[in-house]
Amino acid sequence: MTEEQPWQAWLNTANPILKSPRNQTRTVFSWAIIIKDCLWIVGIAILLGGVLNYTLLLDGINGKLIAEIQQKQLTDLRQKAEQLYPGISFINLISAKKLYDDKLALFLDARTTPEYQSAHIYGAMSLPIRMLVQGDIQLDKVLPDKEALLITYCDGGECDTGLELAKELSERGYNNILVLGEGYPGWEAAGYPIEKAGIKQ
Amino acid sequence: MKLLQNEYLHLAVRLLLGGLFLYAGLPKIMDTMGFASSIYNYKLFSSFVIGLTAAFIPWVEVLAGLALVLGVKVRSAALIISLLFVVFISLAAISAIRGLDIDCGCFSGVERKANWMAMLEDIALLGCSFFIFYFDRGRISPMALINKISSPSKTEDVS
Repeated sequence: MTEEQPWQAWLNTANPILKSPRNQTRTVFSWAIIIKDCLWIVGIAILLGGVLNYTLLLDGINGKLIAEIQQKQLTDLRQKAEQLYPGISFINLISAKKLYDDKLALFLDARTTPEYQSAHIYGAMSLPIRMLVQGDIQLDKVLPDKEALLITYCDGGECDTGLELAKELSERGYNNILVLGEGYPGWEAAGYPIEKAGIKQ
Repeated sequence: MKLLQNEYLHLAVRLLLGGLFLYAGLPKIMDTMGFASSIYNYKLFSSFVIGLTAAFIPWVEVLAGLALVLGVKVRSAALIISLLFVVFISLAAISAIRGLDIDCGCFSGVERKANWMAMLEDIALLGCSFFIFYFDRGRISPMALINKISSPSKTEDVS
């Protein structure tokens, strides 16, 4: 035992094969040891993670984290748009609401039909990007005016279907398209008119 | 059943699983906010839970993965990884049932949706993890090698 370092002894517990022949007390299967070592691993992880991410943890406790994540996702989406689809611009909530109140823009919901049915911006038209790409929607019939001002949206910064719908429409000859980056969740959180399960709110 | 006792198979599975967890965990440590954002997309957790998970889980993944690769505390690491897989499988199943079209956030930079396919893959990996837990004793590993070099008399097999 004397030649075995303490750290080796610790590492070798629950590793019966590595036990010395002189140290005949062969470690048998022991839940206690295994769980103790699990706690060690998790404990070190908590220590390292806690020290390195304490600001993130504090934001989580204060409830600010979700707002930060939404902001980050929106920024990422805008960056992605700038790189991939340079011609497409975003519109913020307040400007979008102004256009909405003046009835100057048509809102297009790029999410799936069930999502649209459960809740959407009041007066918005459902135009699921997948159905459009598959050719299930006759665009000339639903949107005859190519110069109309269109605002696309989806579920906020975490989704890019609103952006992709805008790109698809601009490729098909529509000229006035804006993307509402905050999407439906942002619109709802701002207290603007929505339609939930067929009822205006 | 002899194959299950094969030490080289143990080593291969352990390196695969350990490497996978290092590969999954390290980028999350580098980009905690990105990982937090992936957790948020599941739409299941509060701000508090997202903060805790984003701060700690990547480190648990990395340490458990490292333990498997090095052959240290193999069974404990395999147990932790099994528990993580149970969580991942549940999350993939819940997202698939709810019809969410989201990235699973498993590996940053790799597109992998949280759906039935991801769930089946995770179940297979959970099998690997159980396999290590039951059969692998870290006989061939860097740690065993260090032990061998530092104290040659101890290399005799006692089993």
